[in-house]
Parts: sequence; structure tokens; C-alpha cells
Amino acid sequence: MKVKIKSWNSVAIWKWDVPNEEVCGICRVAFDGCCSTCKTPGDDCPLIWGECSHVFHMHCLLRWLATEGSRGQCPMDRKAWVTAK
Amino acid sequence: MIKIWSIKKDNSSAEKKKPKVSAAQIRVQKDLTELALPETMQMTFPDEHDLLNFNLSITPDEGFYRGGIFRFTFNINNNYPHDPPKVRCIQKIYHPNIDLEGNVCLNILREDWKPVLNLNSVLVGLQYLFLEPNADDPLNKDAAEDLRTNRKNFEYNVKQSMRGKDVKGVYFENVLS
Ligand SMILES: [Zn+2]
Ligand SMILES: [Zn+2]
Ligand SMILES: [Zn+2]
Repeated sequence: MKVKIKSWNSVAIWKWDVPNEEVCGICRVAFDGCCSTCKTPGDDCPLIWGECSHVFHMHCLLRWLATEGSRGQCPMDRKAWVTAK
Repeated sequence: MIKIWSIKKDNSSAEKKKPKVSAAQIRVQKDLTELALPETMQMTFPDEHDLLNFNLSITPDEGFYRGGIFRFTFNINNNYPHDPPKVRCIQKIYHPNIDLEGNVCLNILREDWKPVLNLNSVLVGLQYLFLEPNADDPLNKDAAEDLRTNRKNFEYNVKQSMRGKDVKGVYFENVLS
């Protein structure tokens, strides 16, 4: 049987460059999905890295930092949160 | 060519019909599926559609509180997991870390809460309070003093309180199963 390619659909796959952890520790949704308050993955729901090397959905982290109990600390190690450059 | 705009419109009209599931609910759902409930704990949901409010009973199988059933309510608000669950003991019990109103002194329910913790962390913490009551961080100062100065006496008083008897003039609830 011979197959002739008539048309070609390319599907792009993108992934965040995330080391070990594959889910956001706050919402527990995978990093290549968006946080539970967003609907579409991608640029709308970016990730944010701290200097402590922990990473979260930006929306999740901002909501945490806006909560009084956070005292401006990383959700993982409770060191002062400093966004990595 | 996918018409993004038309899809977005369809989604938004579908969402209006369905009651919106909050991020807190989604997270609690995940917590519950990951839960490894030991035999000494039981969870009940008075309203099966409401995952944010439930009851927990603990039946310690060792330690000072062995033989009792201790009942707690959990109330989770819509800012979970940024805010910790609110946990209360609904019985009057004699415990250094639980006051007579049922407030629980557990660091991870207060200043040490982090949104990467989950319901399992809280259950483990509660279980621990019954195995190792802690005199250093008391809500019930009399009970803490008792535990610190005379463990035998504390043990006796705990047993008395669990039978619904009085300890130093305060009557406690019978929690024996
Ligand atoms: Zn997240
Ligand atoms: Zn998001
Ligand atoms: Zn960190």
C-alpha cells in the first residue's frame, strides 16, 4: 500500500521550561495547564520564578502575596519572596 | 481556521448556565482525592454538594486520648488554599492545645499555614495533637500546666474528662465511643 500525503497539518506543542516540579504547588494544576481561575493555557497564565528557585503560576502567587497570612513569603519555604530576573 | 472569538463566546454563555466551580472547590477536590485517611479518622459531608464544609471525627488508638471520639468541623472559604481551613472541636474537651470553645492551637492552621499544604497536612497535624499534646504552646493553660508538672495526674484528668466528669470544677463532654 502506498500512502500519498495530500495535506499536512502541523500541531505546535509548547512547554514551559520547568525543572523538577510539574504541578503548581498552590493550585496543583500542571504548569502546562493554566491555574484554576484561568481558562486558556499559554501567555494568559504565565509562570513566575523566585530567587529561591520555586516556581508557581503567577496568578496563584499574586493571590497568595495579597493574602495577609503570606507576609510576603514564598509559599514553599516561607523565605521573603524575590522574583528571579 | 478556528474561530477563536466564536469559541470564547460559546464558552462564556455555557458558563453562565452552569454554577461556577471556584478555584477553592477545585483545589479541595484535588486534596480529597489525594487523601489517605487512616482508620482512626472519618469524614462526613452533611451536604454532599458542599465540599467546603464537612465534619471529621478522630478515634485515637493510642496515647492519652485513646477510646474517645473527637469531633471537628472544617469550614473552608473561597480563598483556600491561601487561607487555611477553619477547624473547630465541637465538644468541650480537656486538652492543652484546644480551648473550651473548641479553638485549636496548631501552627499550620495559623501562622505557619502555606498554600502548598493540603487537607492531608491538617489531618496529620490533628492526629498528632492527640498523640502528643504539647504543653509549650497552650490554649488551655490548666491542662498544659498539668501535663508539664505531672503526667500521671494529667492522664487521670484526661480520662475523667472523657467520661464526662469534672476536672477542677469544669465539666467536660462524654466522648467515649
Ligand atoms: Zn497555580
Ligand atoms: Zn491563571
Ligand atoms: Zn521558595
